[in-house]
Amino acid sequence: MQDPRDPAELLSAAADGDQLAWDELESRFGPRMWAVARACGLNEADAADAVQGAWLRLLEHLHSIREPALVGAWLATTTRREAILLVRKTPPAAGFELGDAPDPASAVLEADGNRLLWQTVSALQEPCRTLLHLVATDLGSRQMALRLGVPVGSVGPTRARCLEKLRTLISLQETVQ
Amino acid sequence: MINDEYFLAALRLASGNDPIPGHVSAAARDVFELRVPRAVTAMPAEGATARGVRGADGPRTVRFVAAGLTFDLEVTVGDGLIDVVGQVFPTPCEGSHVDVRTPHLTLTRSLADSGQFAATGLPPGWLSVVCHRPGQEPVQTRWVRVRP
Repeated sequence: MQDPRDPAELLSAAADGDQLAWDELESRFGPRMWAVARACGLNEADAADAVQGAWLRLLEHLHSIREPALVGAWLATTTRREAILLVRKTPPAAGFELGDAPDPASAVLEADGNRLLWQTVSALQEPCRTLLHLVATDLGSRQMALRLGVPVGSVGPTRARCLEKLRTLISLQETVQ
Repeated sequence: MINDEYFLAALRLASGNDPIPGHVSAAARDVFELRVPRAVTAMPAEGATARGVRGADGPRTVRFVAAGLTFDLEVTVGDGLIDVVGQVFPTPCEGSHVDVRTPHLTLTRSLADSGQFAATGLPPGWLSVVCHRPGQEPVQTRWVRVRP
């Protein structure tokens, strides 16, 4: 049975030493953190490193998260930052990762948002509908090109266009709601 | 900045094709055991190489600063393992010690009169040092990733 406490309560309890509250935070937000790290292009080992790093950051900020109710968004944002740092070849200047505000764009990861997201993807025209499904299954560009019947070189730009369309439609729906 | 990664992550999450591995979840839960109650966090000093410490170019020195305590850490990576030589100042009082920590291993070291300490043979990955002083709140460095 899921812990009925909301994220802010879980965060507060974890800050007071409640391991069960921490475990519940992991249950709720761990999967999306993994998805973010993998979406940044990391292999499994590096994604594991980035996710662990984000949890270590939460440990450092247990008492100083500005918006406790948004701890899920904060974790997603922090995972992305850690993933980007791993991808970089050179160490960044101190301070790069010190921002404490959740990235508003991470709201698309909320549970209800996922349902909305797939409904929106299904409503897209081809090749976007198929391409975005293929993106989610981790196919490489070459295989994607084969499945879509397009040149390999056009997969990247097409993907960017499809994501832009998706972003626009999601924004419109959020505006209407 | 366009954050396509969140959209891609949402698509991946909903597809269910790449679930979080059990060992990643377990590692995240184990992180809680690294909590140091009432600890103050020392942040990387401006201009320091605080993240992604690499060993190819020899030792790297990283400075962390908190109110009343500074850590200088010299990190060396060799043969796939990490050696840390450090100093805290001002020199803590007698009975102080440091814990040099990775998620899976903690080495405790007494501080010399000079505030210096050393720990060798640590696994690469996340690293933090905690200074415990009698009668004062512990001070921990921000976690840094040390890579071969």
